[in-house]
Parts: sequence; C-alpha cells; structure tokens
Amino acid sequence: MTATATRRPSGDDVVAEGRRGNRNADDGRFVVSPQGMAARVAVLVGLLLLVLAIPVIVPDVYTNVVSRAAIYAIIALSMNVLVGYTGQVSLGHTAFVGVGAFASGYTMTELGLPFGAGIAMSAFTGAVIALGLGFVALRLAGLYLALVTIAFALFAQETLFNIRSLTGGGAGMPADRPAFLIDDTRYAYFCFFMLALVLAFDWRLTATRLGRAIRALRDDERVAASWGVDVARFKLLAFVISGILAGIAGALFASTEQIVSAQDFTFGVSLTFLSMTVVGGAGNRWGVAQGGALFAVLPTLLERAHENFHVIPFTWINARFEPAIAALLLVLTLIFYPGGIAQQQAHLLRWLSFGPWKSHGGDDDKVAGITGGSVGARP
Amino acid sequence: MGFVLRILVFGLQAGAIYALVALGIALVYKATGILNFAQGELGTIAAFSAFFVLAGGLDAEASDSKLRLILATLVAVVVGAAFGVLVNTLVVRHVAGASPVTSLVATVGVALFLTAAQTLLFETRARNFPRYIDGGFRLPLANVNVPWHTIVILVVLAGVAASLAVFFRTPYGIALLATAEEPFAAELQGVPVALMRTIAWGGAGALGALGGLLGAGFFENLQPGLMTTTFLIPAFVGAVLGGIGSLVGSAVGGLIVGASVALANQLVRTFEVDVPGPPQIAVLVVLLGVLLFKPNGLLGDRV
Repeated sequence: MTATATRRPSGDDVVAEGRRGNRNADDGRFVVSPQGMAARVAVLVGLLLLVLAIPVIVPDVYTNVVSRAAIYAIIALSMNVLVGYTGQVSLGHTAFVGVGAFASGYTMTELGLPFGAGIAMSAFTGAVIALGLGFVALRLAGLYLALVTIAFALFAQETLFNIRSLTGGGAGMPADRPAFLIDDTRYAYFCFFMLALVLAFDWRLTATRLGRAIRALRDDERVAASWGVDVARFKLLAFVISGILAGIAGALFASTEQIVSAQDFTFGVSLTFLSMTVVGGAGNRWGVAQGGALFAVLPTLLERAHENFHVIPFTWINARFEPAIAALLLVLTLIFYPGGIAQQQAHLLRWLSFGPWKSHGGDDDKVAGITGGSVGARP
Repeated sequence: MGFVLRILVFGLQAGAIYALVALGIALVYKATGILNFAQGELGTIAAFSAFFVLAGGLDAEASDSKLRLILATLVAVVVGAAFGVLVNTLVVRHVAGASPVTSLVATVGVALFLTAAQTLLFETRARNFPRYIDGGFRLPLANVNVPWHTIVILVVLAGVAASLAVFFRTPYGIALLATAEEPFAAELQGVPVALMRTIAWGGAGALGALGGLLGAGFFENLQPGLMTTTFLIPAFVGAVLGGIGSLVGSAVGGLIVGASVALANQLVRTFEVDVPGPPQIAVLVVLLGVLLFKPNGLLGDRV
C-alpha cells in the first residue's frame, strides 16, 4: 500500500477554527465545537448550493458537459470500488460502461420499454459482465488481471459493440430520453441526482462490514481470510457492485447525446477512466468524483480559457492539448501525490467531514492511492 | 496444406512484430519486474524520428532512398534507446510507493503522453513509410504473396533474439539477471543496479525502435499511437504466453499469437460467419487460455 506522509498546504491557518475544537478528555477523540459545527455546515451548504447552481449558470451549449461530468464522476466511483477499495486494477472499464450504454439503448429502442427499465437493464448487464471478469480475478491478480481487462475491453470494442443486431453497428443505437427529461438542464439535474444516490451508496458501502471486508482484500488477502473474510465472495461482490455502477453510468451516458455507438468506447477511453480515478485519488470517494468531473470538463475548460484569456499560457494552449495535459496529470500524480486530489485536499476533506483541520496522526492520514496485488496467478 | 501455409505466412508477418515488441517487454520485465505499457509508443516515437530523417521535415514525403533509410534506422534506434532511458530516469524510478501495478499505470501515463505529444506535433494524418525491401515473391502451394518485408522482419527478429541470448551469457548479461533476481544481493556483489536498469530500458527502447520501423513498414504508413493500438496488446499476450521472464519464450509467444490471429481471420473468412473483430477474440482467448491453464507460460520457469 502506498501510504505516504500527508503534505501540508501552505494555508494551514486559513481555517484556524478547527483547532479550537475540543479533545475529549476521556479518549482523546476530537469533538467539534458548536462554532465549528456552524462553520462546517455553512461551508457544506454553500458548496452544495454552488454545485446545484452549475447546470443553470453554464451556457446552454455546455449543459451536456455538466451531465457528462456527473456521469464521469459515477464511472470514477465505479472504478474506485475496484481500484481504490479492492486493489484490482481495471484497464478496461469501457467494457462495463459500454455494455450498460448499449443495454439501455436496446431496451428502450428495440424493446420499447421505458427509461427506468433501460437503467435497470444496464445495471443488470453491467453486473453480469463484471461478474464474469470477477471469476477470472479469482484466479489472477495484479498485472495479469490488468492485462485481461485490457484484452477484454478490446474484445468488447471490436466484437461485442459491433454486433449489428444488438448495437446498431456503425450507425449506433438510439437511446431516447423520456419526455420529462428532454430538457438538457433537467437531464443534468437527473444525473446529479443519480450521482448523489451513488455517493450515498458508496458511503454506506464503506461504513458497513461489507465495505471493510472488501477493503481488507486490498491490503492483504491472506490476512483478510484469516480474519474470516470470504475472499472469493467479497471479491466477486466488489466486481458486481462496480459493474452495476458502471452500467448505470453507461445508461446515463447513452441518453446524454441520445445515441451511442462503438466509437464512444475505444480502449483509450478506458485509460482515461483509469487516469481520472488515480488523479482523483483512488480510495477516496470525494477525490475520485472530482477527478471524474475534472476529466469530463477539461477539454471544454481549455477551449474556453483559450478563447477568453488572452495571456500566456492560454494563448497557445487549447483543447488539442487535453490528452497531453491529462497524461501529464496522471504521471505527476503517481510521482508526487499518489493520493491524488484527495491527498491535496486532505485537510479540507477531514474538516468538512466534521474532523479537525490539522491531522493528529492515526489511520485517517493514510493515503490509499493506487495499489495492486503482487504479480502472478494463484493456483 | 494451402490453408495452413497461408496462416503461417500471415501469422508470421504480424507475429514477428509482436515478437519484437514482446522481446522489449520481456527485457524490461526481466530486469525490473515492470510491465512496460509504453513499449509500443517508444517505437512510434522512434519511427517518427526516422520519418523526419527520411523526409527532411514533417510535411514532406518520405524519400525512397534505401541509403537514407539505413541512416534513418540508426537515428531511430538511438532515439528509441534515449527515450527508453528517459522514461526510466524521469518517471518509472520516481513512482512513489511503486507496486508492479502502480508502475504499470505510470507507463500507461507515459504511453498516453507520448501519443498525445505525437498528435500535437504530427497531427493525426497518416504518413507514407517505406520498407527496407519492396515487393515480394509468390509462395507455391499456398498461392499467396510473401512480401520481402516479412523476411526482413524475421531476420531482424532472429538477429535480435540471438544477440540477446549471447548478451545474457556475458558478465553484463549475468549482472542484469542478478539485478532482476535479487537487487540487494546484486548490489552487494558490486553490480551497479541502477546502471543495469538503465541499460535494460535503453535496450528496450532500441528494440522498440526496430519494432516501430518494421511495424510502420508493415502498414507502409505511420500515424500517432500506431504501435500501441495495433501491436502492443498482442505483444503483451505473446510475452505472457511465452513465459514473461523468458526472452526466447516471448519471441515464440509473439509468433504464436500472430498465427492465432491469422487463424481466427482465416476461419471467419473461410466459413463466412459474421463475427466482428476476430483478432481481438483470438487475443483474448489465447490470453485467458494461457493464464488459466498454464500461468507460467510455455517456457517460463517462474512467475
């Protein structure tokens, strides 16, 4: 596991209030003072309002980009269940997301069922595909599993997504929105709502025995087994959960542009999915959600900055630079901040979750980052 | 008979390039325990430098002069080796808390960056790329044309495999093996571990360059990301199939993957079934088959 010391941003004193929180005399646990509580609630409500205002604030042409940001955040959370919690690296997440997208399109267009059925179907198919890969993961770990996921994504891209009767071939498969979501702004709010559901689910997942068991697998499967964790069952469960989330994201993705085709899910996109999870900070839900949103809006941000800011570097950087910048972000994250955005925001995130601003050591300070089992196949 | 020969011919054409890339992957893996996802792009970058020499610029057409191609080859090999060393020096060595998987993801980042940089510099359009020997000959019985280029690739592959085999008998080669086996003990024995790793990455870069040149010649054109999208994954599978620590195994594995892909293509064509993407199916089946039934690979003695 890549635990490194948390780096302190220079602005340690920006919110000095947290330090005034009391230490409980009995067990030394941090207790938030009433003023601290008020400040945290105020900031949280402010952030929530800010996020909720985004679909209304942005110009209409970019509303779908906002939806895309929420969808990428869900995809990053789906990746996070495998990469962050279980320590299984998936280089082929487009397979899950793509299957979900086409399943939703097929259900609505070919079977004539409503949008809700499309989402349910995509969650189901995502789970089934992920379960299949999960069985492979029971036998393989680390690098070998990563290779299988790439090969599988390529297979999905070239074979599965080109079966004309299921995916419409090169023309693509329409995935219409229901009448009440035709409006782009409404659709963006719907995507936000789904993201909120996924975040709440993720929170419950990590807070329960199930989540602890899954995360125990990441650190050491044998130790986990010795504590009575049924390794095979929980690993499969992690894959299924990841597949369900990816499938749902796929359904939302398909209905954003209301058509989906194989070109949307080339395996390069898989590498983007992995990058955003790592840059966000594998293992931390708020980090990976931000990572997903960042990668979704990065091209648009660069283009807008290029058009509106007439200063260096924006005069010569435009959307064409996005892949290079994204790749650079990935490499720099791995070298300097293995815990990604979450590591950089460690103080803020701790403070916002009703903890102290400054760390006082202990388990909270561990930065998960990306891990991975040892090389090799287990017999 | 004709069917088998055709599969062999088509299989060797692509398979020999898979094998070259797989050799580079195996070399780095042997020395450092890292799966290098950037092995393909090291080749594409090198091939672009060769194109620059051939065309005297990025927008001109590549010259047909074979003498110039030889010069371009030398430049490309040096550039490939330099990039291999750079990837190790700038990125891989510094990856914080590196598990093998983290290092793999770091090389994914390098591959993405190299592809993105190529796209920025050279745009996405394809450029003509020459072969060392044009034309081909007709193989009797099989009724197929064998390009001389295939023979060139096979000769290069054999030469590279032989020189690597010789290299690993020399004290330097043995030091490299020791570095991989037990870096700390090697250090105690006076092996300059960091230098040995640099050599392995440089060698992998040079191998990548050969792969890139021959791969671009295979398609007779060159575009950003070429080696990653077409040859990298089958090469990985070839390396695993042969036993990833084994150089000979990687070469053989690459050839077998090539033959499997050709077989899948021929089967689909012969029986006229409408299955999209037979190469990808073959690659996935071979990978799953070898990992589930013979995880050490054909010639690998350890995982």
